[in-house]
Amino acid sequence: MGRTLTFEIFRYNPSDPDSKPHMQTYTLEETPSMTLFIALNKIREEQDPTLQFDFCCRAGICGSCGMVINGRPGLACHTQTADLPDKITLHPLPVFKLLGDLSVDTGTWFRGVGKKIESWIHTKKQFDENAPEERMDNELANQIFELDRCVECGCCVAACGTARMRDDFIGATSINRLARFYIDPRDERKSSDYYELIGDDSGVFGCMGLLACDNVCPKQIPLQDQLGVMRRMVTLESVKAIIPDFIRNKLVGCPDKND
Amino acid sequence: MQIHYCDVLSVGAGLAGERVAVEAAQAGYKVICLSIVPPRRSHSSAAQGGMQAALGNSIMGDGDSPEIHFNDTVKGSDWGCDQEVARIFAEQAPIAMREMAFMGVPWNRVVPGEHTYYKGGKPFQATEKKENEGLIHSRAFGGTAKWRTCYTSDGTGHAVLFTLDNRMLELGVQVHDRMQAEALIHDGERCMGVIARNLRTGELEAYIANATLIATGGFGRLYRATTNAVICDGGGQIIAQDTGIVPLGNMEAVQFHPTGTVPTDILVTEGCRGDGGTLLDVNEYRFMPDYEPEKAELASRDVVSRRMTEHMRKGFGVKSPYGDHLWLDIRHLGEKHITTNLREVYDICRHFLGVNPIHQLIPVRPTQHYSMGGVRVNKDGHAYGLKGLFAAGEAACWDMHGFNRLGGNSLAETVVAGRVVGKKVVEFLQGDSMVYKADAMRDALRGVEQRIENLKKGTGDDCYTLRNEMQDAMMEYVGIFRNGKDLQKGVDKLQEILERTKNMRLAGKGQRGQDAEMAMALRVPGMVRLALTIAYGALQRTESRGAHAREDFPERNDRDWLKRTLATWKPGDSLPTLTYEEATPFFILPPGDRGYGGGKIIDGPDIPAEKLVSFAEKKEAQGA
Amino acid sequence: MTPRSPQQVASRLDFWQALSGAVLALFICVHLVLEGSVVLSPKITDWIGWIMEEVYLAQVAAPLILLIIVFHFWVAARKMPFRAGELRIYFQHSRELGDADTSLWLVQVVTATIILVGAFFHVYSVMVDMPLEVDKSAMRLHEGWVVFYVFFLPACILHTGIGVYRIGVKYGFISKARREFWRKTIWIVMGAYLLLGTCAITRVWFIGDALIQAVQ
Repeated sequence: MGRTLTFEIFRYNPSDPDSKPHMQTYTLEETPSMTLFIALNKIREEQDPTLQFDFCCRAGICGSCGMVINGRPGLACHTQTADLPDKITLHPLPVFKLLGDLSVDTGTWFRGVGKKIESWIHTKKQFDENAPEERMDNELANQIFELDRCVECGCCVAACGTARMRDDFIGATSINRLARFYIDPRDERKSSDYYELIGDDSGVFGCMGLLACDNVCPKQIPLQDQLGVMRRMVTLESVKAIIPDFIRNKLVGCPDKND
Repeated sequence: MQIHYCDVLSVGAGLAGERVAVEAAQAGYKVICLSIVPPRRSHSSAAQGGMQAALGNSIMGDGDSPEIHFNDTVKGSDWGCDQEVARIFAEQAPIAMREMAFMGVPWNRVVPGEHTYYKGGKPFQATEKKENEGLIHSRAFGGTAKWRTCYTSDGTGHAVLFTLDNRMLELGVQVHDRMQAEALIHDGERCMGVIARNLRTGELEAYIANATLIATGGFGRLYRATTNAVICDGGGQIIAQDTGIVPLGNMEAVQFHPTGTVPTDILVTEGCRGDGGTLLDVNEYRFMPDYEPEKAELASRDVVSRRMTEHMRKGFGVKSPYGDHLWLDIRHLGEKHITTNLREVYDICRHFLGVNPIHQLIPVRPTQHYSMGGVRVNKDGHAYGLKGLFAAGEAACWDMHGFNRLGGNSLAETVVAGRVVGKKVVEFLQGDSMVYKADAMRDALRGVEQRIENLKKGTGDDCYTLRNEMQDAMMEYVGIFRNGKDLQKGVDKLQEILERTKNMRLAGKGQRGQDAEMAMALRVPGMVRLALTIAYGALQRTESRGAHAREDFPERNDRDWLKRTLATWKPGDSLPTLTYEEATPFFILPPGDRGYGGGKIIDGPDIPAEKLVSFAEKKEAQGA
Repeated sequence: MTPRSPQQVASRLDFWQALSGAVLALFICVHLVLEGSVVLSPKITDWIGWIMEEVYLAQVAAPLILLIIVFHFWVAARKMPFRAGELRIYFQHSRELGDADTSLWLVQVVTATIILVGAFFHVYSVMVDMPLEVDKSAMRLHEGWVVFYVFFLPACILHTGIGVYRIGVKYGFISKARREFWRKTIWIVMGAYLLLGTCAITRVWFIGDALIQAVQ
């Protein structure tokens, strides 16, 4: 027999001056293989059409449905109710602007940091239609894709103590994104350029090594390892004149990006 | 009301929309993209497998050429495609892939030396050439003569989308997310932009543009079981059809994917079968070679889907509370292969099904997957009937897919068509001056406002009830196997639902700010009209071609049906008006046997010599 | 040299934080082992103390270490939740999240405060009571300092252990794959130091007992 699940859901409509933040309770019969995607849609369609939340691919690929599930940020679509207790508490992700109930504005936030860290390949080359593609080692392509797998769901940001305390912290996701460009030979930026972008407390030095980003990442991206690579590179860049180059080159991830 | 001005407005910010936007922005034009979700969440990101392009770097793709790619595409389309467009596509695809590599896509590359691959569950050896080391690699996909599908692990759509969106950031293209386009602004001749509803605030906003692009993807959500994201509700096709002028092409051509998982309908990639996954029945017997001795699991999608349905109807399906299904077996590929090359598949199985594909079978069944039809455009991507309106990607019927598209061709289409159409949009802008008519905008605005007011006054069913009934009708009557009787039932049922949408009510009474119910309610009548367009087009098409399989007309009929359905919806009508046009302006590959799928063909008259051209001949379309 | 950006100072601060932390960690490790020698025999400890004084290491090192502590605190304090509400937000966040690593940082903040204040008293009390001798320490313990060390010693060990772990994590020396191993190792080492420290204090306490009884 299925359980009866109790959902405690955060409700607040910031566009409505009469709305006050509060928790609302719904109950639902559990069905086999039920995910929070199925459950929330059932609640909206059958019990409360005013409930707001975001889903898109419902397959854990697009990153739309990040929310705080029983205290931990995660993707609702790939959370099975079978893995949760009878009582399920849902909050919107903190840090991001609340749009309504469980729906937050991750889009604006990610566009902002994307611009800030200049999340694109910097090259002076021009594309030549007639030339064959530049060669790349397959292993390197795989490594780049490993870091490119981030779906920008915002869970790591919501789980980050620094991000909770400091509005301007760019979060593990952004530093991971930059790490992706750091190892990409097509990006012609040097260590000093990266240093300019993230060499302060809103960037890589804001990270206090709390590891929650790593622990909640639905894609299991080794975020802290990337933070480590970038922090080492930027720190060594900051003491360029103090530490001899041969030591620096040993310690950084991509020595050919040192200048 | 807020009014935004730009040179190019893209409705949709998936791969096709962004590729066009990038092209126009590179030419110096001001571009705005509208998107229901932040652009990186577009459904393009969910495409796992890859993009077909005849680069011929891998040993199994050795000797490949655009012409062979073209031939595969035409055969795949069951001769329903526009061969001129298919040629443009096949020729441009390799350039488009290299360009994406230049922009930053981490394509998988050729590793020289011997490697093992699986075909039909058996291991084979192949040796990659040393001189091709580091060039873009390719994998096998169904319905192709060569290994041609460029890929990045199994997150190709994601990787390409992120790369394009990075380029958008670099070029400073504005993206207005959480905007839902509700109506095109036009005067019957010229498109001038859209009226969109801001999903954050619920306010209507006007976008005035010289060129408007529809790139909203498919309409899978017309079906209950679909691999498509929840945003794939046909929004672009709806606003085009609502003009009463712009025709939708071949809407009855709807593809089902053989391997949607049960019960969540999440797609597992064709790469599973390409890499050697097999399909098993209730007795864990591999049945596909019995039906398709040559290609087995790698026949084109329509064929595999139908064979699966056929086999389940014979009673070999696996019973489950969610209906019958079959098994996909990838266990023999090994842990390393499954957790790297097929990791998304692994994740989906673990997180959504509670199945470990390294040791267990994956429950699958054919599930709605792709819409070949869409806003009918010419080879430049310019919509029929309205100047200044373009469409690209799945939303469009550019028509390189005809009645069935090959795996890897749709994702490739997004960037190839995006590139081609983008250049044509730029050409259009160069020879054009801004047309803006205030009353056209007012009319469009008033229309949307009226719909919102009506919803607030409605007393009938709510939008979810009506949508669900429509989805069930589509599954039941307009699915994989079709027949006249059921299609007629479907049309009747959908007409009844359409009538009921006129008195649709808001169960939540409408609220300020974000209101998901209102967004859905505004969509439902258009969705039902699209559903009717599909059902009615399918009813009229008395043949079987590609994905359109009629039990009562099992033959492909080249004599009467070598043509494309064009459907317009005149205001106030309860059915679309169907007209037909030639499938292709000329033939490079005259109609013949696909080499898989079986089935009889009713031959048409011989193709006149002036309509036959060779692949290399750069002949302009006859009479086009 | 390439032109430095205005972020230079902030950037170097992080380096100095790690470096000063590492120096202090090293110091604590050595300091505790040397003090721990009292468990074997107070004579060894007295002898070490005598050498330290003879070469003026104690007189120089003690204030220097204090300075480094102050410096380390000052640099690291930019991360501390001083602003109104910050601590509350962090506290709530860490409670909701239930994530061990997030909560450990609160331990760092608390122990940092204990150490900053404690180090002054510790050094002051020792310096005004030169020379360095076990007997003197023993008497101080009996004057009430034992309560102080019950808090001070674990604070130092915790802060050092967690700090070293964090440097390893933050600079990517402890990778995700090896994290469990290091986490365990550091807890074991911290446990060992705590045991050593406790034994040392106990031993010295009993030495003090004996001294007091001898006087009586």
